Amino acid sequence: MADAKPKIVGFCCEKHGTESVDLAIRSGEQYDASVRLVTVPCTGRVDGLHILKALEDGADAVFVLGCLEKNCYYDTGSIEGRKRVEYVRTMLSEVGIEPERVEMFNASSTMVWKFPEIASTMSQTARRLGPIEPRGDTK
Amino acid sequence: MNRGTQVVICRVCSEGAGLLDVDKLARVASDAPGVCSTVVVERACNKKTVLEIVDDAMAKEADRLLVAPCSKKEISPALFQTYAKKAKMNEFLMEAVDIIGEVTLPHRDDPTRVQPKAEAKLRSAIVRINMLEPLQRTEERMRTSNVVVIGAGAAGIEAASVASAFGLHTVIIEKSEKKIDAPGVVMPKSRLISAKGHAGNYILTIEVGEKRETLECAAIVVASGGDWREAKGPIVDELQVAKPLHHLEQEIGEGRLPGGAIIILDTPDPKGIRTPAQDFMWEEALHCATHIRRKSPTTEVYLVFQEMRAMGLAEFDYKEASELGVKFIRYDSKKPPKVDTKNGTRLIVTDMAQEETLSLAFDTLYYASVAPNPDNAAIAVALRIPISSSGGIRRGSIQRGPVATPRPGIFVCGTAKFPKSREVARLEGKAAGLMAAQFAAAGKWEFGGSVAEVTSDKCSACLTCVRTCPYEAPFIGIAGKAEIAIQMCQGCGICAGICPSKAIELHNYTDDQLSAETAAYLGGDF
Repeated sequence: MADAKPKIVGFCCEKHGTESVDLAIRSGEQYDASVRLVTVPCTGRVDGLHILKALEDGADAVFVLGCLEKNCYYDTGSIEGRKRVEYVRTMLSEVGIEPERVEMFNASSTMVWKFPEIASTMSQTARRLGPIEPRGDTK
Repeated sequence: MNRGTQVVICRVCSEGAGLLDVDKLARVASDAPGVCSTVVVERACNKKTVLEIVDDAMAKEADRLLVAPCSKKEISPALFQTYAKKAKMNEFLMEAVDIIGEVTLPHRDDPTRVQPKAEAKLRSAIVRINMLEPLQRTEERMRTSNVVVIGAGAAGIEAASVASAFGLHTVIIEKSEKKIDAPGVVMPKSRLISAKGHAGNYILTIEVGEKRETLECAAIVVASGGDWREAKGPIVDELQVAKPLHHLEQEIGEGRLPGGAIIILDTPDPKGIRTPAQDFMWEEALHCATHIRRKSPTTEVYLVFQEMRAMGLAEFDYKEASELGVKFIRYDSKKPPKVDTKNGTRLIVTDMAQEETLSLAFDTLYYASVAPNPDNAAIAVALRIPISSSGGIRRGSIQRGPVATPRPGIFVCGTAKFPKSREVARLEGKAAGLMAAQFAAAGKWEFGGSVAEVTSDKCSACLTCVRTCPYEAPFIGIAGKAEIAIQMCQGCGICAGICPSKAIELHNYTDDQLSAETAAYLGGDF
């Protein structure tokens, strides 16, 4: 079930994450307008709750973009962020929602190609999966 | 508290690409809750305009400011400064919404979605600004402006010279007894035991000979260097003539050339753990090898490496080295080279390409790799800074600067990080000395602002935050609940994200704020 205008939320860390997005944009890269970026100080700040609430509020897919794991501004921040994302993915599969809807990515501020790649991956996933179907047993 | 938000929309920047309807954006802003004034100006960075809009903000009693459509970095800092000075607006209540960067530029190819996305972005930014708290940053005076340098190698001495040229008092802690010519105080036979305090006001405990002393300082430079003498392994045991590569560099620098055949080998202990790739060594090995062959074409030079990577301009050195007749021998890490047990001046190595075992006669063998200083672990524990898997002091993210550790006021330079030539170590020492001096000379240290705070009623003292924080800011206080030392908190919010009791909130990035902002952005249909 293809969705022409999916809703994708990207939690982006203020350091390497945002800077890699900035660099891509200032280099003239174009990406799907469905991606909505929300800035967080560090991906470690992202809680599973934020991701789940975003899905509840109508997002078809959510991604988290942080620094490279060995070059995170806050040392272990992007590793912590990845743990939360993995946890949410397990929870989603338990309730029968495709875990691919939630992904974690890492980029350094100089990786100009990374963000357009991420946006297109997530946009393809969201278009392929369509809106989240409520499970039959919840009425 | 929340009196209202003034939204300033700059027409020149918005209409630049011809994709945005500014008046429609302004209507969205004025319809949004919490907005008390919406002004559309020609150019928000114009000095005269700034004065007019500040007057408007004061007349409407706005206590928050949202500027569109540029990012905070692009807007003239004078705008925010004028608001802070004239309208006494809190710096944490002034934000910018980057509509150009996030909507106009990247969606030029999809113009029909630009306007609705810009409106949704603006709405979500207004939701966020209405929920912000006015925060304060705190200043702490430094009790001293001392800079302590650990290690009196090339990097350490350079760091101390630079810092003392700034007019600061420097203290060098050196474990050996060697005579050192450096400015400030040099403490031979001393080592660091422990450290207390935070940036600007560190209190170190130092062992000098038999005595223990305390030393207060504003900034610390770690220049503990490497220790090739600690290298152990079959080759070192059997060899008398083995030196680290920087000795060869120094000899060359002094105009001396080694007599007889030389071998440059990549790692001092081929049987032990493989030394991680050290990019400096390929370049320097090539450099030395070409220099020797150029000056003395009869000297045999062998480069015995697991891998030879000549990066960037070093490619030319590689070409020249091959042309000059330097012999490159690549070996398999599973078949490390051995010194001939019968004859200590021959190295037996299997060439990977030919699969042939060679016996190379040499006079001197140089190691292109330096083992880490074994004291690094103790220094890292005392200063609470991270250590890398290869035993070097790890610097922080590159965004903090090339010689900065994750802890403010502590800098690292030279071979303490990973092996490097004396020249590079000296340059790093210069950088670290300068950064430490700049830090210490400020005389005060600012902290606070967007930091984490614990709601003690919710805290179950599970220690999760204490274990997770990379900066050791959370601790269990007298009341048996977690508390955050705000001098240590860098505002990442990892503790807030992980707290199982949801007892920690990061100011201005609370759960409610983030979820409300996301929901508002998702509310836009485009």
